[in-house]
Amino acid sequence: MTTDPVCKMSVEPTKAAAQSVYKGQTYYFCAVGCKQKFDREPDKYLAGGASPMTR
Amino acid sequence: MSERVTLPVRGMHCAACVGKVERALTDVPGVDEASVNLATERATVAYDPARADVARLRAAVDAAGYELGETPLLSGGHDAQDREEARAEDQRRLRTRVLAGAVLSVPILLGSMPEIFPWAPAWLRDPWRLLILATPVQFWVGAPFHRGFLHDLRYRTASMSTLVSLGTNAAYFFSVAVTLWPHTFMALGAMPYYETAAVVITLVALGRWLEARARGRTSDAIRRLVTLAPRTARVIRDGLEVDVPTGEVEIGDLVRIRPGERIPVDGEVVEGASTVDESMLTGESLPIEKVVGSPVYAGTVNLTGSFVFRATRVGAATTLARIIRLVEEAQGSRAPIQRLADRVATVFVPVVLVIAAATFVGWWLLGPAPSLLYALTNAVAVLVIACPCAMGLATPTAIMVGTGRGAEFGVLIKSAAALETLHRVDTVVFDKTGTLTVGRPAVTDVFALPPATEEDVLALAAAAELGSEHPIGAAIVARAKELGLALPPVTAFAAVPGQGIDAMAPEGRVLLGNRAFMEARGVDVSALDSHATALAEDGQTVVYLVLAFRPLGSIAVADVLRPEAPATVAALKARGIDVLMVTGDDRRTARAIARRAGLERVLAEVLPEDKAGEIARLGASGHRVAMVGDGINDAPALAQADVGIAMGSGTDIAIEAADVTLMRGDLRGVVVAHELSRTTIRVVKQNLVWAFGYNVVLIPVAAGLLYPLWGVLLSPILAGAAMAFSSVSVVTNSLRLKRWRPSVP
Repeated sequence: MTTDPVCKMSVEPTKAAAQSVYKGQTYYFCAVGCKQKFDREPDKYLAGGASPMTR
Repeated sequence: MSERVTLPVRGMHCAACVGKVERALTDVPGVDEASVNLATERATVAYDPARADVARLRAAVDAAGYELGETPLLSGGHDAQDREEARAEDQRRLRTRVLAGAVLSVPILLGSMPEIFPWAPAWLRDPWRLLILATPVQFWVGAPFHRGFLHDLRYRTASMSTLVSLGTNAAYFFSVAVTLWPHTFMALGAMPYYETAAVVITLVALGRWLEARARGRTSDAIRRLVTLAPRTARVIRDGLEVDVPTGEVEIGDLVRIRPGERIPVDGEVVEGASTVDESMLTGESLPIEKVVGSPVYAGTVNLTGSFVFRATRVGAATTLARIIRLVEEAQGSRAPIQRLADRVATVFVPVVLVIAAATFVGWWLLGPAPSLLYALTNAVAVLVIACPCAMGLATPTAIMVGTGRGAEFGVLIKSAAALETLHRVDTVVFDKTGTLTVGRPAVTDVFALPPATEEDVLALAAAAELGSEHPIGAAIVARAKELGLALPPVTAFAAVPGQGIDAMAPEGRVLLGNRAFMEARGVDVSALDSHATALAEDGQTVVYLVLAFRPLGSIAVADVLRPEAPATVAALKARGIDVLMVTGDDRRTARAIARRAGLERVLAEVLPEDKAGEIARLGASGHRVAMVGDGINDAPALAQADVGIAMGSGTDIAIEAADVTLMRGDLRGVVVAHELSRTTIRVVKQNLVWAFGYNVVLIPVAAGLLYPLWGVLLSPILAGAAMAFSSVSVVTNSLRLKRWRPSVP
């Protein structure tokens, strides 16, 4: 289980709507819209301490 | 200030009439231009209302000998219905005439031929009674032919009407003379020919009636095209949504469209997104994605989403209106083909007149006394025998049996003209989508990345597309069903128009869509790319399948060629016919299909309005063109072609615009139709030989060539025998068509 860095919802990786790879880490999103926001300003959302995929 | 009005015109039946009406109209002061259409029987006049009015136009047309209607016509609308009613009325009148002729001819025949009908009542043999019976047949049933004769005289031509009128009038008036002065003529052994006149008129009128029936219904294509545009539109004015009649939408108005609705006018999307079925315009079987800035067209169907667009073209400027105008123009430019029998008559009449004149002079100078009487009698005899009664039946009987036989093979021929023109076609143009191809995409390739198998890919994709209304989804589901695959449980479907499907399987999220769909979600599908690119080059549509962000495989769909297409193209080429393909699709896809069908000449990326133009271009360079199509966008081309052939599986509008319908949706029907046409025309020509043959043989007898040898002159018995034999021969020969079979299965 991981957390969407944009909306902070918990997302199951296999069921996520979208994913992004940033600096070698894969992030999962609950919706395509969240991924789009993340891709535009990844550091902004990561600064809040979102957890990259743990497994 | 110029006003434009379109009014119905009645009484025209040839190109010369069109010229007369147009001249009469343009001669009216204040008229800028007038254009008259023979097929639609309409006149469109542009005039200055200060100087001219409709009443003056009507007076001018009336003076020229025609009739201009009162009520102005709207484009499309009730025209087809009015014409259909007029046509039905004409047919009814013809039928009444034929029945009257038949009913009256029976007693005349019985009374005139006591040798053959000895049991007939004696009072019937009185020539005065025969005169009374024969007069209405001659002048009421026969009226159209006498009118035709006068028309021919004015234009110095000859047609069947000339022959019939001359022959029957000669017979009738001679008979009147014999009735008035029996003793004078009895010396020559001359007899009245009332039965000849009556039977000839009745039979030729019968032929006309059969022809009218064979001519078929007027095309309803225009009216149906007009109904494609919805009558009302939801316009946003001052922030409120108002339903207004489509005619009141103005350029710049904002129009809202909900799912399932038809778009009322042309425009550009300003808000929202959706997919639209534009198959009526492009023939494209896949829905088109619409986003802000996309163009939308009147008459197309909105599928899934809701959007607002700004009207850019309204009324007569929309693409739909342009298509309607194209069909109208194409239908109007069809010249009626001259009857074969008329063409024979044109040559025959002068020859007969010369022979009759020579007969008269010959008997007058060389004959026994009273030589003037002999000369008159025998010259009349030549005219009488030269008029074959079966000539009017030669064409319609063959056409009737021919079209009936065609229908038995799934080829529905709507008009006699089509059957007559088909055999002369030297070029056939096929539309691509829906005609050469099935019209719906089918799965053509399934690719799987191990460890997944093709069945896994197909099954999962089908499960995701189960509820889909999209043609691609339908194709995938169909293929999975064909293979009897068990579908995994998939839920939570969400369709992203133009891109793909998003659903949930037990193992994770299922994504099925195009590359853009996958990229937007950050899925890496590069492993599938090389395979997909090769397929896309071939013009196929490829969708990727991804499960929990792992690419599983891809499925390609494409519109496939009809199985009988290559055989049909080959058969047409073998008959010396040029085969072309025309399509709005891109060159790549078009060429791929063309190659597989076996044809080399492709006209790709042709807009619907230009399809008709291409046909016209071919026609202008001297070719006789048949067009085969199925979609609304084919209607103008189908109407423009010399023969339009519609697929039975196609749209109603294409079927209405065409002359022939292939009921079985099988392309081989084109070859069947061509063969049928050739055979039918051969039978028509044979019929004409039979119709004229017996009479031609008797012309020398009528002229008196056998008189010096055996004292034989024409008698009503001989004339009657010729009538009987020729009629029976023609009908029997036509019935032979019932046994015709096409060479292709």
